[in-house]
Amino acid sequence: MTEPSLDIMDIPATVSSPQVRADPGQGLICLAGESYPENTFEFYRPITEWLAAFLQRDERPLTLEIRLTYLNTSSVKCLIDLLDELEEAHHAGRRVALNWYYDLEDDRAMELAEEFKEDLTLPFAIIPLQRQG
Amino acid sequence: MPNLHDLRGTLSSQGALICFNGPFTHGIIEELGKAVRKYLEIEEVQKSALMDVFSVYIEATQNVSNYVTRDQWTADERLRLNAGIIVIGHEGDHYVVQSGNPVQAPDAELLRQRLDRLGALDKPGLKALYKEQMRSKRGPDGGAGLGLIEMARKASAPLEYSLVPDQAGLTFFSLKVIV
Repeated sequence: MTEPSLDIMDIPATVSSPQVRADPGQGLICLAGESYPENTFEFYRPITEWLAAFLQRDERPLTLEIRLTYLNTSSVKCLIDLLDELEEAHHAGRRVALNWYYDLEDDRAMELAEEFKEDLTLPFAIIPLQRQG
Repeated sequence: MPNLHDLRGTLSSQGALICFNGPFTHGIIEELGKAVRKYLEIEEVQKSALMDVFSVYIEATQNVSNYVTRDQWTADERLRLNAGIIVIGHEGDHYVVQSGNPVQAPDAELLRQRLDRLGALDKPGLKALYKEQMRSKRGPDGGAGLGLIEMARKASAPLEYSLVPDQAGLTFFSLKVIV
């Protein structure tokens, strides 16, 4: 009765949409880059679906890694859906975590992460990154 | 046709750095956004200030393009509505993002109500409203409400706007955000 395991998802970044990597083996979803796509809700739908499917089919821990340098308000809304899903799993006793990386020089990125964190109880790390190069 | 030398002089003398007038597409929003960031990087603006300007620019232009691409319009309406203008410039020590586009009269009224409501809120009030709106389901406007709140939060002064009815029965909406 076990459902087939999930595929790896790998979506390359564009100017306005982040790279997305989701790996069931590692229990990791990573979003990296800029997020202000033309159709934000369509862009995020497969990610939300992947996350929901993983939580349903797999019992292993799951980490969401955010390495977004910019999010428009539509992306913020979509990210809330992802985080709500994770928070629910956390309440149900699943091992889930969120690691949010931001550019040390960008106060705004840190403030945004902190605003998200205010409403959540799951393990949520906000991690500054030194500028490369 | 306008005299470009004079037009450019007018724009420069009023602090305009980058401007675009015409139909907004996603590609144009991306390219102009790159230009805005490049410009601010050359001016060695602090990262957080740069991101505030960029964020206001994105919300302003995407609000216009989301409005134009709503399902409810006929092809003819869409053509008439898809005429935006965006100007990014300086005013004293501040960066200013101004955007304008034609809207239908009922939407003009909606904008007036929303912006007047935002104008009455202080920063904590704006944050509370932002948090409330970011969890609300998507409305028929595709989320323009949140964009306006975001711009108000990034702004260093209350948002300024004007609504001017035109002869074609539309209302020209213009918004000024001082960052």
